[in-house]
Amino acid sequence: MRAVRAAETAPTLHPWLVHAKELRVRAGRHLAVDGLDLTLTAGVHGVLGPNGAGKTTLMRALSTVVKPVGGSLTLLGAQVDGRADLREVRRELGYLPQQFGFYPRFTVREFVAYMAWLKEMPKTAIPDAVQRAIDRVGLTPKADAKMKTLSGGMQRRAGIAQAIVNDPELLLLDEPTVGLDPEQRLDFRDLLRDLGADSCVLVSTHLVEDVVAACTDVILMNEGRLLFQGTPDDLIARGGQGDAGDSPAERGYSALLRQHRSNA
Amino acid sequence: MNRIIGIELRRSAALGAALLIAVAGTIVLQATAGRWSMGWMALAMTQREYLAVLSPLAMAAGAWQSYREHRANVAELLAAVPRPRPQRMVPILATTALAVLVAYLVTLLAAAPRIADTARYLPPAAFVVVAVGLVAMIASVWLGLAVGRLVPALATAPALAVIGFALLILAPHALPDGGLTAAFSPAMGMSMFSDYDTVDGQVSAAQALWMAAVAVAGVVLFAVPNRKFAFAALLPLAIGATATVLVVPTGDAYDQGTLDPVAQELVCTDGTPRVCVSRAHEELLPEVTPKARHALELLTKTSIVEAHEDTSTVSPPTSPRSRADTALMTITLDQHGHLAHPRRLEPTMLTGVFTGPLSCGDNRNFTVATAAAYWLLDREPAAGPDGLEFDDPDAVKLWKGLQALPRAEAEARVVAVYQAARKCQDTTHLLSRGAR
Repeated sequence: MRAVRAAETAPTLHPWLVHAKELRVRAGRHLAVDGLDLTLTAGVHGVLGPNGAGKTTLMRALSTVVKPVGGSLTLLGAQVDGRADLREVRRELGYLPQQFGFYPRFTVREFVAYMAWLKEMPKTAIPDAVQRAIDRVGLTPKADAKMKTLSGGMQRRAGIAQAIVNDPELLLLDEPTVGLDPEQRLDFRDLLRDLGADSCVLVSTHLVEDVVAACTDVILMNEGRLLFQGTPDDLIARGGQGDAGDSPAERGYSALLRQHRSNA
Repeated sequence: MNRIIGIELRRSAALGAALLIAVAGTIVLQATAGRWSMGWMALAMTQREYLAVLSPLAMAAGAWQSYREHRANVAELLAAVPRPRPQRMVPILATTALAVLVAYLVTLLAAAPRIADTARYLPPAAFVVVAVGLVAMIASVWLGLAVGRLVPALATAPALAVIGFALLILAPHALPDGGLTAAFSPAMGMSMFSDYDTVDGQVSAAQALWMAAVAVAGVVLFAVPNRKFAFAALLPLAIGATATVLVVPTGDAYDQGTLDPVAQELVCTDGTPRVCVSRAHEELLPEVTPKARHALELLTKTSIVEAHEDTSTVSPPTSPRSRADTALMTITLDQHGHLAHPRRLEPTMLTGVFTGPLSCGDNRNFTVATAAAYWLLDREPAAGPDGLEFDDPDAVKLWKGLQALPRAEAEARVVAVYQAARKCQDTTHLLSRGAR
């Protein structure tokens, strides 16, 4: 099945920030991303797909944690291969991994400040940037609480704060809404829209509703390949009455997967 | 960077490690104050000897920190940051080094007040001994960090403590020479055989080189991307070992270097009769002088006019030149650096006069000498903290015999014992049969 590209439906004036061609990335011995073509510009891109679709491996490759084994990947204008100096690219990256680890004895402020230092932010800019990031994720009352004392949702928000502290051009959030309550998820959608105004945000999630509500672009993956790329409305339009799901977007999602499986 | 180090201090195990090491070091030092009460060098060397405990603790602390790091599961997050790993290592290396450094110095400072009023002699070598100890502590904690990173398991820290202890105490004994043994273990070569012991500058240099090599190896191991590159740590170890072997004195040169001739030098009273003690015990001169002068007054019928501290040593064997006009005093100190048995000073000094010089060997008769000495002191020779170390019934019997004699006769016999002892002649019957 040929993937529908966002560029075909909504041409953008922005230059692309991520460009992958025939991208292949391993997760252990398994080729989790297998021949992926993808172009991303500024905006909020939601990555959907069933378990094992290759979403997390794609996020890891885009965050430069794992190197591709084939194809080409260009991030923020820099070619990512085995010899590339990724330092400049990483300065403009924000990444929240799916398995988000932190030092439990850090306070939220210390954690975000430490990550800002690791991102090589100018020393004088760090305190204000830290405070702004904490404010944006709504953790100001807990800024000086130890990470280990926070709930799972708050820890996740601290993770988002560290990811955005450097105002990244490319922000990668892998399952950012895990542990957030409904109200926090609504706030998070606002934050995503705000962040996507002038940077490229890629959000991997299982929650189709989050993607439809907050993303300008939907990417559907399965078995390491791109099945679909388009607007939320495009996704909704793919669904029919007979497809599984409680909402039009979920039905579009189910329809695309079903269609792919039947073709395979 | 200062802010980051501050954050690192709060979030890492460094402060806990510092506290643990400081408490352990203080306990072992305070529990064995008698081993270092004689002066600053003794304190510095004894603390170095306790590296056998403190260094494994530092290793374990480093390994524990790395295990915590592993448990925090931050590898994924850190893999995507621009700051290179060598720079990322700096805060944790700095904080752990600072922690063990402060802990070592706190241990030292906690012990210092105990001898501050009695220890005057402070040789530069004492600072070097402490400095090498600091290098050893830093090397230990960095090695621990590295091993903990490569083997991130709960058991790594305790296992490393045990292995570290064995390496510091047992492994160096496999080396064929005292100098080499000391060079490759910062805890070895620190046993005090006399109050004049020191650590030769070359030995300290060799120890510092080896410890620096271990520290660099630790940093290399901590920096390598994975275990495959661990062999890179062999290079600093090989260079360090070679330099250490080239620098360290061995054989007799090592043995001779364990003694500080300046500490052994005599420092004397201005007035007469002259009383002299070693520079290591200089602060004790006011405490010793009245007792020594009183003993000298009792020896007016002899040629003895001065009292010197006996600065002879067993290892390496040295003995001062015997002088006919000088009585030798043995000075032993208590846990606070004062005379351990003040009332024993005069009897032992006088007994030494009546036994004759060390060179007389088996001809010396301690029983007769004891009876003569205690007769001069007009005290019965009884065992106790102020008297003999062990009961000597024969000496008591001879002393009673002297007491029963007219004073002039007893004095003549005692003087006869002195004169015979000086010539290494047998004194066995001089008190009981008469001296004429």
